[in-house]
Amino acid sequence: MKPIRTLKISISGIRGVIGDSLLPPLLTRFAESFGTYLNSGEIVIGRDTRTSGEMVKHAVFAGLMSSGCQVIDLDICPVPTVQHMVRELGARGGIAITASHNPVEWNALKLIRSDGCFLNSYQAEELLSVYHQGDYKKVRELEIREVRKNEQGIPSHLKRILESYGPVKWNGRNFKVAIDCCNGAGSLMTPRLLERLGCEVVAINTTPNGIFPHPPEPVPQNLTDLCRLVKESGADVGFAQDADADRLAIVSEEGMPAGEENTLALAVKFVLSQERGTVVTNLSTTQAIDDIAQAFGCRVIRTKIGEVNVTETMKKENALIGGEGNGGVIFPRINFARDSMVGIALVLHYMARCGVSISSLINELPKYYFVKQTVPYPSFRVRSLLKQLQETYSGERLDQTEGLKILRPDAWAHIRSSNTEPIVRIVVEARHEDLARAWAAEIVSRMEKL
Amino acid sequence: MNPLKISISGVRGIVGATFTPELVVNFAQAFGTYLDSGQILVCRDTRPSGSMVRSAVISGLISTGCKVIDLGICPTPSMQLLLTAMGASGGIAISGGHNPEGWNALKFVRDDGIYLNALQAGELLDVFHQSEFTKMPWNKLHKVQERNDAIDLHLARVKKSLQIEVIRQRRFVVAVDCCNGACSRMTPRFLEELDCKVVSINDSPSERFPHDPNPTPTNMQQLRAMVKASGADVGFAHDADGERLGIVTEQGVPLSEEYTLAVLTVIQLSQKPGVVVTNLSTTQAIDDLATRYGGSVIRTPIGQAYVAEAVKETRAVVGGEGSGGVILPDIQFSHDSLAAIGRVLEFLAVRQNTISDLAAAVPRFYMVKRNLGFSPSTIYAVIQDLRASIESEAQTATLDFSDGIKLSWPDGWVHVRDSNTESMIRIIAESKEPSRAESLADWAQTRVRIASVRMAER
Repeated sequence: MKPIRTLKISISGIRGVIGDSLLPPLLTRFAESFGTYLNSGEIVIGRDTRTSGEMVKHAVFAGLMSSGCQVIDLDICPVPTVQHMVRELGARGGIAITASHNPVEWNALKLIRSDGCFLNSYQAEELLSVYHQGDYKKVRELEIREVRKNEQGIPSHLKRILESYGPVKWNGRNFKVAIDCCNGAGSLMTPRLLERLGCEVVAINTTPNGIFPHPPEPVPQNLTDLCRLVKESGADVGFAQDADADRLAIVSEEGMPAGEENTLALAVKFVLSQERGTVVTNLSTTQAIDDIAQAFGCRVIRTKIGEVNVTETMKKENALIGGEGNGGVIFPRINFARDSMVGIALVLHYMARCGVSISSLINELPKYYFVKQTVPYPSFRVRSLLKQLQETYSGERLDQTEGLKILRPDAWAHIRSSNTEPIVRIVVEARHEDLARAWAAEIVSRMEKL
Repeated sequence: MNPLKISISGVRGIVGATFTPELVVNFAQAFGTYLDSGQILVCRDTRPSGSMVRSAVISGLISTGCKVIDLGICPTPSMQLLLTAMGASGGIAISGGHNPEGWNALKFVRDDGIYLNALQAGELLDVFHQSEFTKMPWNKLHKVQERNDAIDLHLARVKKSLQIEVIRQRRFVVAVDCCNGACSRMTPRFLEELDCKVVSINDSPSERFPHDPNPTPTNMQQLRAMVKASGADVGFAHDADGERLGIVTEQGVPLSEEYTLAVLTVIQLSQKPGVVVTNLSTTQAIDDLATRYGGSVIRTPIGQAYVAEAVKETRAVVGGEGSGGVILPDIQFSHDSLAAIGRVLEFLAVRQNTISDLAAAVPRFYMVKRNLGFSPSTIYAVIQDLRASIESEAQTATLDFSDGIKLSWPDGWVHVRDSNTESMIRIIAESKEPSRAESLADWAQTRVRIASVRMAER
């Protein structure tokens, strides 16, 4: 029998491949353990557009109902909408059914607590203990609550954004905006948001059918259609989302991808130009954030990778803005979540405020070159690898919050093991492309020697 | 002991105990695998757990590549009728039927609208136990399709079989108790369309069951009061999913559930003599009626699938069980309480008759039903032990071992068997003489006790 290698039950939740490892009984049990962990209460459920979403959703419903939860079904909507609604409704928790940027055959459960943030690693460990123990809360007939449908998710989320960032004009005229929603959950919200902001919209891939026209990760190689659309339509800016609309990529009016690291940089620069406050981001995000914050006299706090690590630190530090370099902007005044719709509103208002093109705003950002590499590496050897690298670079400034980060005046490198796969991720950023490439190559060759 | 019962009558258990979502998901996967995907209809009765079970069923079916047609809350016979009309591959009825609040069940329907028979149920169970279910990839999953026209189809189909105008002219006053079950949105509407004055109670699907949903005289007290108060011509009681029917006469007398099939037997045979199919535990009155009208009776083991298959095979004019389930084969090969109501009203209208006159045509028997709770691990052994000892004795009775043990004498019979739906042994005895029926039941009960003591000593 071929062993199943696609299922991953970890502190990031549960993810797997449909028709292979992610099967209804497993999902039902996982939902039961979540209902048991939260001891019933209202649970908000949303999903992205994947074809497996309905199957996964019903398996989750059954498990939650059996453990006495009141399920509130938002059906297809962005993940940040689920997070917004958990807080808005004062619910006990939520589950977003999405494999985010993963390919179409994947699906996953993301677990949300009452403050709209994902479970942190301790809470996820507790949940896993409940799951593995297998003794779930079961309620009797009359305590089972029928699923309650709620169609207010997207309208409520839109209203919240528009309260802070309403209609905009750019140099006296309406924006023309091109979007690519990858036939994901953003399809149901982003066109409406842009219309309410007073934009003229040219859209591709806004059919919420879960058939992805390209891999849903909004990285430059997946944005060629959007780049062409921006140029052909003469749009002022282009926006691309992943399947669950938490991550945002930007394309300039010249049809050039800005690079996903620059999404957060633009948002941070705009917000700090309006008011001062603390910025929180993860260890692997561009140094540009520090440069921008420094220019405004603001502090940057770096956390482990993972949205919840950023949001928890933001709460603790009462941060103004934060996010992740993969295109995830977190602006707590609107939503305590990576929210691409918030990112879009911020970028458009930034352009409107400055009255210049998006490419000139991008060009004004500090210039860095980014190299990201993944090296397959057996999990049991990761610790010794990190230890030896630590000795190798012992004379330099090191940050060991997660994995190993080596900081130099003009560059940094971050080496860590993945939460989701048996690989090691290497991220190097430098002022010059050659320098970044050379350092990344050096680290990889050291790994191969070990 | 919290019972779970897996039998020819489906998978049944107590919500919050044995009837878990994992179990349901696995059975749905097994059924989807067993049917090799295809179109599957899903319906449920009004139990609150129905929504939980429905989600588990839908998820399991989708994952095996089935195209799910979700009928929501809908009587089981309406689903069975739509299933055959659509030419679908199968169906799952989510309903504890006559079982009390707290229970729920999955009942598996095949492409001809009949439940899986014992052999097929065994095959399904093998698939379930093997746990190797069809796993369809993301691009072979089908969207759930919701349909709400099953009841419309059912009403149209039944009305078409009736002399509507004759019924309408009688302007019947009809009392009906839907037990807040799946018929709540169907039967009152049906009766209104027949120009009846409808006195409807317990027709709120969102409310709890006002009483146990089994339409026995004990559970028809409220209906009986309504019939008397409203001067209704007849009263009808449904179980939770529209399979079983109970009748109250215009004099306010609740008829035993055994009478439902007997009344329909009178109606069918008096119009067209033929075969009547029923199970071993159903009243002797059926045989007497068949003799009177020149028909014949075929007896099957207990379980709707046995009766339905025999009705189909023998082209019977009517079939059913003493529990209140009636099969009218010109509508479908399944218990259908709506069709039975229509046929009773038509007969009363055409013959200018009253329901108590019709009931009076049924020979009087006295029936005793007793249920003895046993743990699932001992039931089979106790029945085997009893059978062995009875076989070893000289008997004046005719013996039938096709389902448990049935002993028949000229003046009465007693039947001891394993329940299909609960963890218990049922004893049914019948005679024209109440004392004889009671003594037969006493005798059987003592023999069961002796057998169980012997088992315990082993």
